[in-house]
Amino acid sequence: MSSLSFLEKTYLNWSVLSVDGQIDSKTVGEFKEALDQKLLTSKCLAIDLTLVRFMSSAGLRALLVLHHQTSSQGLSLVFVGINEDIQDVMRVTGFHQHFTLVSSLDELQPAVQ
Amino acid sequence: MTNSLDFTVSDLISGYVTCYDSADRRIDLKTSDGRDYSLTLNDNSYAKLTQNLGESWQDRTGLLEERLKPGQMIFAYGTFFPEEEIKFEVNCITFPGDSTDSFLHRDKGWWVQQVDQIANRYLTWQFNWPNSDIDYRNYRTLVNITGMKDESDYLQETDTISRMVYGMASAYMLTGKDEYLEAAEKGTEYLREKMRFVDTDTGLIYWYHGLKVQNNNQEQKLLVSEFGDDYDCIPAYEQIYALAGPIQTYRLTGDPKILDDTERTIQLFDQHYKDPNNGGYYSHIHAVTLSPHEESLGRNKARKNWNSVGDHAPAYLINLWLATEDDRYKAMLEDTFDTIEKYFQDYDNSPFVQEKFYDSWEKDQSWGWQQNRAVVGHNLKIAWNLMRYYSIDPKQQYKKLAEKIADLMPKFGYDKQRFGWYDVVDRVVKAGQKFHRYAWHDRKAWWQQEQGILAYFILQGLFPENTDYAKYADESAAFYNSFFLDNSDGGVYFNVLANGMPYLLGTERFKGSHSMSAYHSTELCFLSTVYIDLMTNKRPLDLYFAPISGGFTDNILRVSPDILPKGSVKLTGCEIDGQTYSDYDSDLLLVNLPHSKSRLKVKVTLTPV
Repeated sequence: MSSLSFLEKTYLNWSVLSVDGQIDSKTVGEFKEALDQKLLTSKCLAIDLTLVRFMSSAGLRALLVLHHQTSSQGLSLVFVGINEDIQDVMRVTGFHQHFTLVSSLDELQPAVQ
Repeated sequence: MTNSLDFTVSDLISGYVTCYDSADRRIDLKTSDGRDYSLTLNDNSYAKLTQNLGESWQDRTGLLEERLKPGQMIFAYGTFFPEEEIKFEVNCITFPGDSTDSFLHRDKGWWVQQVDQIANRYLTWQFNWPNSDIDYRNYRTLVNITGMKDESDYLQETDTISRMVYGMASAYMLTGKDEYLEAAEKGTEYLREKMRFVDTDTGLIYWYHGLKVQNNNQEQKLLVSEFGDDYDCIPAYEQIYALAGPIQTYRLTGDPKILDDTERTIQLFDQHYKDPNNGGYYSHIHAVTLSPHEESLGRNKARKNWNSVGDHAPAYLINLWLATEDDRYKAMLEDTFDTIEKYFQDYDNSPFVQEKFYDSWEKDQSWGWQQNRAVVGHNLKIAWNLMRYYSIDPKQQYKKLAEKIADLMPKFGYDKQRFGWYDVVDRVVKAGQKFHRYAWHDRKAWWQQEQGILAYFILQGLFPENTDYAKYADESAAFYNSFFLDNSDGGVYFNVLANGMPYLLGTERFKGSHSMSAYHSTELCFLSTVYIDLMTNKRPLDLYFAPISGGFTDNILRVSPDILPKGSVKLTGCEIDGQTYSDYDSDLLLVNLPHSKSRLKVKVTLTPV
């Protein structure tokens, strides 16, 4: 049975949620739940997807909804380590240009709050 | 304590002249429902003819003697004076035609001119056309009453673009003007490029709610609706209306990319909105899981309504069938109308249909603003769309329901004093009440007038023996043309007061908004032209198409403008790129296009039998 694991940490003033596993229609529920929990407590949110090898459209929709939520609440959001395959999918669906992407945590600058 | 009406008040009385006494300057009038009034002209009374968009003022003050003949329909705006008798003094008379047996809205070309004017205005407002190119990056959902729009921090909603594209495609079909084709095609392409989400797992397509552009020019795609009724969901009607413009454009061009997008959107409806157990389509699905059953959908969890069940037909499905005659779409139409006929009727309890439901079709009478209320226009829209489909599938239960609605609505949703259709009303009267209460106000919305006008024109076209259909078609169309057209700034008003005065506050001041684009006003022009020319007044109609090379399957262009009774219209002439062309089927209303490496411009003439 597929499932995701999550690791929470702080880097600079970013609240980081690292995800490990495959995000698809079976796991998107727990992914969304983890994101919603994180939104309750974080003003600067970094979602580290370095260990996510595959993301289906369900995962992309979750990212899009997250982006909408953070924008409307005035929160900072950045995605870390999205692999090339997933970035290709994002390009096909047409919303890759709307997200802030960095390749690793090292590239993060302190967030402006 | 009881109230008394002992103050002066201005209002509109609409009806038919029974007598004009020029010496006493008195007009006797009978209303739509047969009540008599006596009106008095004063020294400042004036009269005018209804103006179409693009026309100048046409005064009729000096022609009252000639025009105020028995049977003449007039709109009389004036003031009630409750003195010994209740007197009514006229300020202004509006004539919807220049004789007792003619209406301007039945004149050849009336609605074509109107659609041309509306389409032209929207091109100017949105793109500064013809001084600038048609470029949808400059499109804004919000357009104010004079056509102004915000230059930054704006929203481009998918549905409003699609609705405007519908208007442009319809304007092209009626006028053949190239700018409307260009606007339809560019808008369709913009929707594909910016608003389309291709689900890489399943191949399904769904459409973003829209694109938000903030002050720093940062674009944000919105998957979930920003509209209050649908917040954080993907509502069915937004997906449905995303197809309205592209499919009307497909009828012109046959562009296979549009058909592919549409089929994959229909798969979305079938796989995620359709209820496989109880039938019908859910009104909302969750943005991430695409399920209609998520708890977080709240009041929209597992609900069905008119929009999700019925709006498929007018928004895109009938037009898709007209362009393809594919039995799959006919089956979907049949299922739609069977579902409406089976579940929406509630005549033991109300003269209005029930239009909101829980999962298993139990009535939802507690949702948001709707409660146990009726949208008058939805009733009328059911009637005219049932009758369109009736022409290819003549089930008696469709006719029976449409006729029932057409019989009930003038009694319960119509303004018998002034003409025109009300907005949202209580479905039942409470103890001690005589009138169905208005939910918020007694204003009249432009899109609901469209439903009334088309319901009765279409019913008149199919069943001319019932003279009530022509009566309500003419009264409704005369009211709309006299009071909804903005002869100063162009386009049509969102709402007018019950007495016909434009209501210009809040959202209702806009010409473009979440609710209004160039759709209902142009659909009204398009279908009124079709039914008046071909079905009621019986005269030829020219239509224009622009098929691309390699477009329509088997190179067959279907030119029937609507689902008309079989054999009622023939294709009697065709030109391609200005040259007479003869390879067409007069009875089946299709043109066998020549093979061409370039786009063709096709003009056809349809003639009533």
